[in-house]
Amino acid sequence: MEGEKVSTHPEVPGEPTQTSTALLEKATATIQGFGPVNKIHQHLCAFHFYGHDMTRQVEAHHFCGHQNEEFRQCLIYDSPDGDARLIGLEYIVSEEMFLTLPDEEKRFWHSHEFEVKSGVLFMPGVPGAIQRQDLEKVAKTYGKVIHFWQVDRGDNLPLGLPQVMMALTRDGQLYDNLAQDMEKHYNVSFAAERENRAYMKGLAHGIHPMANGGGKGLETVLREVDCKPVESVARVFV
Amino acid sequence: MASSDKTPGAMPPGDGSVPPGKAMTVGQHILDKGAQMLQTLKPIKKMSQHVCTFAVYSHDMSRQIETHHYVTRLNQDFLQCAVYDSDDSTGRLIGVEYIVSDRIFDTLPPEEQKLWHSHGYEITSGLWVNPRVPEMIQKSELRDLARTYGKFWCTWQVDRGDRVPLGAPALMMSPQGVNMGMIKPELIQKRDEKYNISSDELTRTRIDIGVPESTNPKYADYWMQTGKGFAIDVQRTEMKSRAPFP
Repeated sequence: MEGEKVSTHPEVPGEPTQTSTALLEKATATIQGFGPVNKIHQHLCAFHFYGHDMTRQVEAHHFCGHQNEEFRQCLIYDSPDGDARLIGLEYIVSEEMFLTLPDEEKRFWHSHEFEVKSGVLFMPGVPGAIQRQDLEKVAKTYGKVIHFWQVDRGDNLPLGLPQVMMALTRDGQLYDNLAQDMEKHYNVSFAAERENRAYMKGLAHGIHPMANGGGKGLETVLREVDCKPVESVARVFV
Repeated sequence: MASSDKTPGAMPPGDGSVPPGKAMTVGQHILDKGAQMLQTLKPIKKMSQHVCTFAVYSHDMSRQIETHHYVTRLNQDFLQCAVYDSDDSTGRLIGVEYIVSDRIFDTLPPEEQKLWHSHGYEITSGLWVNPRVPEMIQKSELRDLARTYGKFWCTWQVDRGDRVPLGAPALMMSPQGVNMGMIKPELIQKRDEKYNISSDELTRTRIDIGVPESTNPKYADYWMQTGKGFAIDVQRTEMKSRAPFP
């Protein structure tokens, strides 16, 4: 079965933006404080699959910024274009920080070692020698990814529940056609990069057994709860 | 395995910083700058406004937070927002909110609508502001935004004391004019002082922004009709695979 390549020109339902709205928003962007967003400095391409279903794979364009040397936060879009859909986010932490997480939390996080060393995770537009200086660090990190918009099943709106996503951990998982489309579009060769990255050391302590779902799938379920604070519920309905 | 309404396991206290971690090295700064010069980062450049407002947790409405939305408009009926806990460079990415017009909202099935919240009260009460933008400029767009609905997932419960994003994502709801939806005055005051604005004053000037009553039943703001909120559980399951994992 081939991986579904979804059109990256969103048919998000709605009227085209009115000129007045566009002009207004252009004006506001120049006056306001965009602190956290100005920290976003790099574009990383990779693939994610659903935490309960490896057969559904998604091209993920990460736009990342550092909070510090050991922590990055990324917005994930379905394409690198201006009309890209914001489909999720990812947090990336150093191995050291990952090891301090409670064990049940570790399941949410996936290792990056294979993605980096196989060449599949890359920074479009950045020469190999420069990319590798950062990617050799990324190879030693773990990531937690949540997606909110299931574009791969054709949703033209972000419907349903957030999805915990996982990343590639070995050969044979990624659909060939998805890999080839990416290579062709960006004029890169994963195989060639794999060789260039052979020198990279991965995780100092190896892939933690609780990471990557702890080897199990992860799925999200909605549960209705009584509103808290309980004592004020009565007041609402009086 | 984890639930948005349950406290996650403990982490070492470290020096208390959120998140913990060593300061960025000069080398990393240089790498970042290099990448930034070579890459176009188009989706980020399309963020056109900063909105500061408030939100409450669907599973515990006593927990209220100030939020900073960086908004991109995809078309006249749809906006997507990266949400942070502050507007300065240390802002933590705490979630994502999607905003749709009432026209689009009305096409959603009831089960989906239950996850969404209305924006009318938030805007007419002056809680939702575009800091540093004169009210006169914002006003026309606010009229449209007052009729929109939002779906907001929070992935980092900083207010719970989480120093890194822990656990399951949580559903958020919007401020409303009745009991559990009312934002604590001290939160509003703190925000107003920072930006030198007055939400009370804005309530007066925004009085002409009407929020029409809907003739269709709506499931948004689910708690207002039912007294119920939602939590998200993350459960272990079999992974459908095409190759060994992990």
